Formats: sequence, C-alpha cells, structure tokens
Amino acid sequence: MFIGAVGCKPLQLARVHLENSRSLEVYRRHGGYEALNTVLTSMSPDDVINEVKKSALRGRGGAGFPTGMKWSFVPKDSPKPKYVVCNADESEPGTFKDRYLMERDPHMLVEGMLIAAFALGAKTNFIYTRGEYKYLIDIMDQALDEARRAGLLGQKILNSDFSCEIYTHTGAGAYICGEETALLSSLEGFRGHPRMKPPFPAVSGLYACPTVVNNVETLTAVPDIIKMGGEAYQKLGTEKSGGTKLWSVSGHVNRPGVYELPMGYDDMEKFIMEDCQGMRDGKALKAVIPGGSSVYIIRADQILGKDVRMDYEGLVAGGSMVGSGGFIVMDETVDVFESTQNLTEFYKHESCGWCTPCREGTDWLVKVFKRISSGGGVPEDAQLMLDLCDNIEGKSFCPLGDAAAWPIQSAIKRFPEDFKKHLTNGQQ
Amino acid sequence: MSQQLTQIQPLSQPVDIADEIAAFSPAVEAEIDRHLAKYPVARSAILPLMFIVQRERGYLDPGGVRYLAKRLRLRYTDIWEVATFYSMIQTKPVGRYHIQICKTLSCKIMGEGKITEHVCQRLGIKPGETTADGKFTVSLVECLGSCGTAPMFQVNFDYHENLTPERVDKILDSLV
Amino acid sequence: MSTEFIKVTINGKDFQVPKGARLIDVCRENSFDIPSFCYYADLALQASCRMCLVRIEKMPKLQTSCTITCTDGMIVTTQSEEIEKAQRAMMEFLLANHPLDCPVCDRGGECELQEMTFDWGGLEERFTERKNYQPEKYLSPMVANDPQRCILCKRCTRVCDEWMGEDAIEAGGRGAGTVIGTYLGWLDCSQCGNCIEVCPTGTLLDATYRHQARPWELTQTVSTCTYCSDGCQMSLGSRGGELMRVVARDRYVNGLNGEFLCIKGRFGHPFVNHEARIRTPLIRYKKGGKLIPATWDEAIAHVALKLDEIADKHGRNTIGIVASPRLTNESLYTLRKFATELVGTDNYAGGDAFSLKPFFASLAGKLATHRDIRYAKTILLIGGEPEELQPLTGKQVRQAVRNGGAMLIVANSVPIRLTEQASQFIHLRRGTEDAIALALLGTDNDSLIVKKAGIDQKELDSLRQAIAETKGDLVVMFGGELSADAQAMLGHLPHLLTSSDMRVLLHPLPLFNNSVGAHDMGWDEGAMTASQMLDAAGDEIRAMYVAGSFLPAHLKDREDALGRLEFLVVQELFETKTSAYADVILPAASFAEIDGTFTNNDGFVQRVRQSIPPVHQAKPDWVITAQLASKLGVDFGFNQSAPAVFREIAARVPAYSELRYPLLKDETHPVQVKHSLAEQRDTLEWKAGLRTVLEDFNPQAEKIAGTPEVGHELFKIGTLTDKVPQFHLLAAGNPRPETVRISPLYQITLDADLRRETAIVGD
Ligand SMILES: Cc1cc2nc3c(=O)[nH]c(=O)nc-3n(C[C@H](O)[C@H](O)[C@H](O)COP(=O)(O)O)c2cc1C
Ligand code: SF4
Ligand code: FES
Repeated sequence: MFIGAVGCKPLQLARVHLENSRSLEVYRRHGGYEALNTVLTSMSPDDVINEVKKSALRGRGGAGFPTGMKWSFVPKDSPKPKYVVCNADESEPGTFKDRYLMERDPHMLVEGMLIAAFALGAKTNFIYTRGEYKYLIDIMDQALDEARRAGLLGQKILNSDFSCEIYTHTGAGAYICGEETALLSSLEGFRGHPRMKPPFPAVSGLYACPTVVNNVETLTAVPDIIKMGGEAYQKLGTEKSGGTKLWSVSGHVNRPGVYELPMGYDDMEKFIMEDCQGMRDGKALKAVIPGGSSVYIIRADQILGKDVRMDYEGLVAGGSMVGSGGFIVMDETVDVFESTQNLTEFYKHESCGWCTPCREGTDWLVKVFKRISSGGGVPEDAQLMLDLCDNIEGKSFCPLGDAAAWPIQSAIKRFPEDFKKHLTNGQQ
Repeated sequence: MSQQLTQIQPLSQPVDIADEIAAFSPAVEAEIDRHLAKYPVARSAILPLMFIVQRERGYLDPGGVRYLAKRLRLRYTDIWEVATFYSMIQTKPVGRYHIQICKTLSCKIMGEGKITEHVCQRLGIKPGETTADGKFTVSLVECLGSCGTAPMFQVNFDYHENLTPERVDKILDSLV
Repeated sequence: MSTEFIKVTINGKDFQVPKGARLIDVCRENSFDIPSFCYYADLALQASCRMCLVRIEKMPKLQTSCTITCTDGMIVTTQSEEIEKAQRAMMEFLLANHPLDCPVCDRGGECELQEMTFDWGGLEERFTERKNYQPEKYLSPMVANDPQRCILCKRCTRVCDEWMGEDAIEAGGRGAGTVIGTYLGWLDCSQCGNCIEVCPTGTLLDATYRHQARPWELTQTVSTCTYCSDGCQMSLGSRGGELMRVVARDRYVNGLNGEFLCIKGRFGHPFVNHEARIRTPLIRYKKGGKLIPATWDEAIAHVALKLDEIADKHGRNTIGIVASPRLTNESLYTLRKFATELVGTDNYAGGDAFSLKPFFASLAGKLATHRDIRYAKTILLIGGEPEELQPLTGKQVRQAVRNGGAMLIVANSVPIRLTEQASQFIHLRRGTEDAIALALLGTDNDSLIVKKAGIDQKELDSLRQAIAETKGDLVVMFGGELSADAQAMLGHLPHLLTSSDMRVLLHPLPLFNNSVGAHDMGWDEGAMTASQMLDAAGDEIRAMYVAGSFLPAHLKDREDALGRLEFLVVQELFETKTSAYADVILPAASFAEIDGTFTNNDGFVQRVRQSIPPVHQAKPDWVITAQLASKLGVDFGFNQSAPAVFREIAARVPAYSELRYPLLKDETHPVQVKHSLAEQRDTLEWKAGLRTVLEDFNPQAEKIAGTPEVGHELFKIGTLTDKVPQFHLLAAGNPRPETVRISPLYQITLDADLRRETAIVGD
C-alpha cells in the first residue's frame, strides 16, 4: 500500500517513512515540537487562533467546518474547565488515513493537541479512538508517556506556565460515536447517542463544559500551520480551503493507499489513472465514492474528461462531496445495487436508534434490499426506496440519517440499469 | 392454571445470576485505577473497564457487571444499557480467538466473500458461531479501517490484511 | 419564564408570547395542533420521534418544534403539504414494525398512536416485509411489556430517572434492535407504574389489569388517593360496581400530580372489591362469644343502648372515641360532633402517628403546595423520607433540583435516597432531628448541637449560608421525628426568616391521606391521645368507639388493652387487630364508594367521588354516625347528603369557611384552606424545650449508614395492601419467576396466609 504525497511536498506525511518514525527522538530531529515551543515562547492564545483562521484549515472529519472559527466559539471567560477532544473514531467506510497518522507519527498529534489546548485554555484532553484500533491506543499511550517524561506534557510544559494533560480513551464499536456529540456522550460513559445542537460543544460539550472536537488530521495540521504561518499554509491549497488533504484510496486501483494532495488538486481522472496507477487488471472504471461511504456515488462518465477538482467546491460541482476523503474506486465488475445494499446494511447496523426515521427507515430499506436480492423485487421498489430516503433525509436527529439516504438516492439516479436488472427479477 | 403454582426461593435478584462479583489481581486493579484517575467523572471509564473485564473473563459476564456497577457506583441497568449499545462488548461468551471479518464495501469488492467462505469452511462453522471447543468465533463486522489493504480480518485485536486463502491458512495454523 | 413578550407569527397570525417560550407549547396553546410522541412537559427534551416538525423561515430543513425556543419575529408554518408528508412519513415508520394488534391491546381506545393514526386517516400500508418479532413478557408483578408496540419515545425511561430517581428501566441495544428493558429483564424498582402511565402506546401495561376490560367500558371518576398525605388526583375506572383500575392519565384527570402516581395509588386499590370486606354489621352479644351477623337496625340499636348504659353507669368521659386519619372530612366532622355534642365526652382523639397540633398552632405562613416545591430555590428536609412515604413530594423535590436547579439540604439520621439529589446532607444521630430546628433559631447553641447530633460546625454554617443566599422560595419540610416544640418552632419560621428576597413556605409530612383534615376537624383537641386512652382502658375508659383501626404503633405493647373494655364498636372495611375485640363491627364504605373531601399536606381540600355503589351492606362512616345519633335522639340534619355535611363544616370550621363542593369541582385548580396564622411570639420557650431535649440526649445513638432499599416502606403490608397479591411478591423481595412470559402470580405462591384463589385474582 502506498503512503505519500502527490502534487506537493509531503506535510502530514513528511515523516511516515523514516525509521523509528514513532519515536520522540526522530520526531524532534525533524522539527518536532518546534511549533509548540514557538507558541509557548512567543504567541498568545489569540495569536494561535488567528493563525489557524488565516490558514483556512477546514475540519477533516467530514463536515469541513473552518477550524479557526470553531475555536473562536469557545467562550474565553467561562469559569468552567475546557476540553480538547481528538476525534480518532475513524469508522467511515473507505477511510483509514487517521490510522496511519497515529501509527507512524503519533507525536505530531500530541503536538497539535497541545497547541490547540494552549489556544483554548484546556487542561485535560482526550483522544477518542475507536476500540478496534487498540494497537493505536497503545502507540499513543507510549508517545504520551515519552512526551511526559520529556517535559512536553504535564506540569509546566517546556518550562513555561502552561500545564496540560492528554489521555487516550477507547470506543467500543459504534460508528455513530464519530459524530461529535455522540462521541461526547460516549466519552461520558453513556450510550453513544448524539445530543441536541444547540448548545454546541464549544459552549456545552464534555461534562457540559466548553469543548472542541477535532479530527486527527485537523489537529496534525496545526504544527505545520504554526511553523510556516497560516498564510503560507493556506496558499498550499485554495482560498477557501487551505493546505493539503489526505485521501484514503481503496478498491479496484492498482495502488491503493493514503495520498496527500494539495487542496484543489486537478483532476480526479489523473489521480485515479496516473497517481493511483490506473485500474486493476485493466478493467474499466465504473463508479467512485470520493468522500467516504456517506457521499453521493459518481459515475465514471462524470469523472472521465470532466476535470473534477479535488476540493470542497470541485467535488460539489462534480456531483459529490469531500466528506472524510475515503475514496472508493469501483470497476465494471461491481453491481451498484449490491454495493448500495452493502452500505445500507452498514447504516442500519450503525444507526443509534434514537430517532424514528433513521432507526425505522434503515431497517425498512435493508428489508427491501434483501427482498429484492432474493428475487422478490418489483419495479415500484425503486420509487419506494427513493421515497423512504426522502422521508429520512433532513428529518433525522443527526446527519447519519442523511448519510444513509444519500448513497441510495444517488445510486438509483445514477445507476438505474443496475437497479432495473434486480427489480424485474420478481416478474420473470 | 392454579395447579401450575410452584414454590421458588424468593430472591431479590434474578435467579440466573449468582452472587459472585468479579475479582481481579492487584495488577489489574491498578490498571483499573489508572483508568479511573483519567476522568473527572468515574462513569467515563465504563468502556475501558468493560474491555478489561472482557479480557480477564472472556466476556462481560454477570460477575463482571456486578463488579462494574460497584466500582462505578452505577445500577446494573446502567451497565446493561451501555454494554448492549456497543458492538465490541460481548455479553455472551465468545471463542478464545474472535475472527472478525470486515464485510463492508471496500473489503466486499476486494474479495471478502472468498475469505469468509474459506475461514468458515476451515473451522466448520458459520458467521456468528463458535467452534465446539470454544476456540474460534467467526463474525462479520463493519468497516475496520483497512480498506486500502482489503480484504482483512481482525483476530481479537490483531489486524491481518491483504488476505488470501493461503495467508488465512497460515494465520489459522499459527493459532491452532 | 420571563414576563417580556415577543412576537411570533404562526400560520400568518401574529402572537405575543413570553420570551423563552417553547414553540410547540405556543402552537398548542393557540390551537394549532402539533402531533408529538416524545415531547413531555417538564422532562428532558428528546426530539427523537420527529413528529412535531414545522417550517421556520430562514432555517434550513424542517425543525422540531419541541426543541425550538421562540425568538422575536420568528415566522412559523405548522401546516403545509411538505409538513404533512413528513409527519405521515414518521407515522408510517413508527407503524412499520408495529404489530397493529389494537383489538387485543389493553391500551386500545386510549392509545396515542392509535388516535393519531385514525386522525390522519388514509394511511396505506406500504410495508410488506416481515416485522421484527419480540415476545410479550412481564417485567415485574406490576408491569407487563409488549416490546413490539414500542415507538421508543422514552417517556418511560425519563420519568423513571427524572421523577423517581430510580433509572430502573432503560433503553438497551442499538438501532432497530433498541428495546426498553432492564438488565436480565426483571424490574427491581419501586413499581410506581409511572412508566405505564406515560407510555403513549400499549408497550408498558398494568399487569394487574391485563385483559380485564376495555377502556371504553369503564366509567371514569375523578377522585383523591386514599393512601398518603400528598393527595394525588386519580381517575377510578369502574365497571358494573367493580373498581377495575386507577390511572392518572391526563385525558381523564389533571390534578396536582399530573400523571404521577406511586405504587399504592396505582396498584393498591383491589382491596375495594376484595372478598374479605365485612359484609354486614356484626354483633358479639357476649364477651368471648362469636360475632353474629345483624341488620343495620339491630346493630345501631345495640350500640345506642350500650353507649347509653355506659354513660349512665360510669360517666360520659369513660367513652373514648377515636377516628382514623383515613376518613373523609365529612366523616371526621360528623363523628367529632357526635363525640362532643352528643356523647359529650372529653376523650376523643385522632388515630394518627403524630399530632400536627403544635405545628398548626404556631403556623405563621402559607403551606407549600407541590407546585411551590417544584419551583423552590432552596429546600430543607428535616427527618422524613418522602420518596417512600409521600412519593409525590419526593418527585417534586427531585425535579426541583434536577430540572429547576434548586438547592436541597437533607438533615436525617439515615442517608435516604433523596440525598443523591442533595447539595448538602447533614447526617444526624438518630433522635437529634430537633437540633436542626434549634440551629435555625440562632447560633448560640451550636456547640451543644454539634456535640449531640454528631455533626461538624461547618455543616451548620453552610446550612445557614444556603438559607441566607436564597433568592426566591425556601421550603421547609419535616417528618414525624421532630418533637412538638420543634414542630411548633418550624411552624413559626416564616416570622423568623422571611426577607424581601425570600419567602418561607412550610410542608409538613404527615402519613395519611387526611391527617391534615383530621387536625382541622378538631381531632387533636381531645383530652387524651389514642395511646393514652388505650393505657386507660378498663379504668378511666370503659367503652370505645373506633372509626377505622388503631395503628400498629398504638397497639404495640398494649395488646390486651382493648380486651379490658366493656364495650368496643369498630367501623371498618376489614377485620383487623382492633376489630378482633369489637363487640359491634359496622361495615364502612371505602373511598371508592363515597362522596366527600380529603385535605392534603398542601392544605388543599380535594374531592373524593363515588365511583361504585357501596359493596355489600357497607355505609359511609358519617352516615353510620348520623344514624346512631338519630337513634340516640338527635337529628344532625344531613339528610344522607355529603354536601350538607360539608356546608356545616364550612359554617363551623373557620379555615373552611365559604367553601362548597362546586368550588372544589375542578381538580386542576385545587383550593387551599385558610389555616389561621399565629401572631409572632417569643421563641425562648421553644428554645429552652429543644435544648432540654438535646441535653438529655444520649450521644451513644447511632447514625445509620446504608441508604435504605427502594420500597422498604412502600412495600410494607398494611391492612389494605395486604389484599393485593402482587404486594406480597414485592414484600418477599420481588423474586424473578422461572419464565417472564407468564404472570409471576401464576408461578409463585405467596406466603401461606394468602389463599390460592386470591393469589390469582390478578389474572
Ligand atoms: C455519522 C457521523 C460520523 C462521523 N464520524 C467521524 C469520524 O469517524 N471521525 C471524525 O473525525 N469525524 C467524524 N464525524 C464528524 C464529526 O461530527 C465532527 O464534525 C468532526 O469530528 C469535527 O472535527 P473537524 O472539524 O476537525 O472535522 C462524523 C459525523 C457524523 C455525522
Ligand atoms: S439519525 Fe437518528 S437514529 Fe440515526 S444515528 Fe442519528 S440520531 Fe441515531
Ligand atoms: S415531540 Fe419533537 S421530536 Fe418528538
């Protein structure tokens, strides 16, 4: 599997191939904790937030919310403790970038979190990692220990007045806990149900205290932003979304992997056919899900020759979304009816069960898929499924409902032939 | 109907749980204390502690539930509601080696079907079942974040990626 | 809520609404119908059913009106094609896996899901897949459960947590597999059944009434609970002279308790039609002889004759009269009139556990209503255990803290469950509850208090600080542990503590449904107490007339007292330890068979209404008394009419002046009686009294460590709850039967005393 940058100098992936890249020593030798030092010696919390604002960094967890703005929502005068929580729940099908960041370069995350904690005045911070990534929790614990021993964590960090702790926390198998409010419920020891917004976590999050939840990749971008300056970072990408972005590529390409691309990389066809070394076994490209399972699926002919730019605006124009950057490539052997059924089963399994449309809707949809795939489909089922999706979309408590509906809606509209084939089965 | 009246021992708790409360070695207790020390509120430690109970006792058994309730000052029902929400918390015994095959899209299109078939054939069980000797359980699970190295499975917490039937054989052999 | 008003436009019409109002409430108050399942006033917001969707201008997507706080200029649409499609879709989702078995469902006819479905009409069933199956089962002797009917609105789990503080029932599983339940499927809790009440569907059901009746066959009668002094309003459902069930559903009744009831109120009613009810008057013609059934005329004549005889022979004061605090005001009044005006004895007494006389004699302020408690800023609870003895008060306190942010201070020798909600728990030595009353009088006795009660000076300081910092209402509650002086002193607190920032409200915690009424009807004014009369039995007291029975506490160590009487008359529903010695037993009618009033611990006079005709030959207590009076030659002039009795009460008892039944008609707006307020007086005497009590106190006494188990008082078997087989299972520790698919009553025998036929009454 490939890990590396294309179209830019590796930033997030700068150290992943170094020997012993996990160790503090290697990290420091390659510029690690310099940003923290800069922050502690010469910057105020507001300076840090401003720099992050200038960088046009957008959250890499999926929603793409401007990070600097999110940080500025935390009330400065609140007497309550504040928390920075790293979202390492990475469970969106097709997404595996955070895993390699933590596996190969854990100190980058520690440094990013420390800077965030400094900017927000947080004293206790958590890394919420999905339970299946147990080995990553061990790696992070080691890195944190190392940092603690080196005076980079705990009391009076780098002999400054800044004291701060970071702890790891484990999930236990629930995709919904990637949603930030559900994550907080889970971190408090409850069932992982999302909570109402407002109040937003920045005002009332963990233990009803101001909390910032950021994705791993968002936090690991912070040290570089400080080192090169917000403006320089922004220039690596586009005006609205600065910097580089990791794409997790899987499926039928010759070279799957984690790719670091500048925001606004041109174009998707080149990316698949050249950077990912083209389609496996010479098969034809059929479909791509570019941003993790929750986004619209796009047809090959929406990509080939269409010059789809790889950033937020470009992908919307191209008929989908950046999401978490889980880039799933499918060749002509894939039946989109089946792939959509597979994802719908995922959403049914992962629906938390809190709200009516998502709980009942995903259950119903899976039943319809199963009936169709065992030969009981009728042509009206396509309309039924679209209508059920419409009844879920925009009515659910949290975005998981939408995420369940979008793949189906786009698949039925864009691959009607795959559905038709199954829907006439029952009548033959 | 009145003939069916039977006299049973009044218990203040359901009949099928024994009074046992899980007990752990000082080393494990210390580990638990370390987790509890991380959080301002003890309840936060519920998932890490469940994993420890599971590791030590094979699954979250009634004795473990009692232990957690006592340690975290919660009701049994609080433990139950949390445990049944998370798919990695086992409330029934599982095999010593829990083979969790990812069945989500990327693995699916990269040949999950063949791997599952192979594993099941070798062990003589279906997904969701445990071998008679209690050694292996096979489950199909959702995306494990190994899409770039599909197909894959996890044996307990160990990732095994880029699987082929031959590699599966080797892995299983090493476990037998 | 603030008094500032803002403008909201709903469906094109402008409304002025208080700032901070919730949109769903505003819409409903203005007659725009908003469907909902999960929204329930004063519980945590859930927003999960997604029925209450509306369109708000400038907001993306439809919004759930249950979560929206109105803002100025908000423009709202509650009816449109888009909204109706969404709401119909939610109904369709909810019904997809629903078994649609209304014809066999106990909730059929009063089910919110069924009603909503009928209201919408024209639902086509598109769901043709297999439904998820889950078997019906029992969660406890009181609660039956059909999980398939569940729409996961989680009202049940929220009332269990927020009202009861028990958190016994919860949602387990995930996604479409989510179920409401408990660990291992057995419900260990106080069995209040509020989860049943608030369930909008037939998921949680009254297990004692399974398949017994359809709601539309029942006659609903609004009445007042006959158990504790909280006076919950309830609807008695009867059919053909039989009391079938008790509910507090807001479609039938809207009292101070909302839909809340405790286990006794909800499940404690089967005594009414129990076969052990005394059927006819009984006369024991010879001491040691048998009780022989008699006609009413014979019995009344016999009693009249005997009372006359004894008065002649030994003097009027040798006749002692005792009235149970369970009787209605009407019966208490009539009997008191009988005692003082006809028999002419000084020896009459209420049969209560403790007297409220000292408290009311020094009362200097308003009694706290349950609503006052809910919105109090600070609550001081001295002694008592409302969660077991006055459960509605317990719930109000809990909600005041949890939903209202009130500060609760508990002073008790036992860490009662409410201490979980307390910001301060003063753990006293048993018997030193008075110390807190003394502490409220000033700091000069602190060293004595600290020493005797076994507490820290800091605890007193922070108690005083909490009171000093209160802006709003301070509610002071106390149980029967306090001495007369302490109660008198607390009654006087409003004079001592009221400030421009703080109102002081009092909430005594007597044990019985009409303890306050018994005080008001003058039963605390006799020359002897009930216990003193028993001690004097056969001596100064030769005959007794007892309406109701003595409490076990009265009879304790005085087992043979009643045997020493020449003549004993008992009015009762059942044979009791008291009636065992009776020479005449007169069958009294239960609360479900009579009209009348009870006065609760808020001072509310609330109506008791006849739901069924008296069973067998029973008569209301006051009718019996009036007949006896007329046999003795005095016509009380009540003409068999309870309103006439109440009119006389209003004329003679100042606190009740000008009250009439029609004024008490609406249970939603209960009327508080006007207890007279005492002038401010010197506290030296009380102080001295309290100090003596404390000085004499032996500091060896313990503090009790463990929090008592849920139900330790509620499940105690009394004369009435004894007649409910399920209570025996609970008293035996609520054993889980072998299978939860069949009623536990079929599977478990009760203690040997209880016959088998009664054991299966519940099914
Ligand atoms: C159903 C659902 C699942 C999500 N899963 C993840 C996840 O696994 N990892 C993640 O970082 N963000 C996830 N998110 C996004 C988070 O809610 C949140 O936006 C993010 O953690 C914020 O961090 P960022 O601003 O750095 O992106 C998910 C959101 C939803 C609605
Ligand atoms: S949409 Fe509703 S049921 Fe689905 S995950 Fe979100 S809150 Fe849970
Ligand atoms: S009432 Fe608003 S979502 Fe249920």
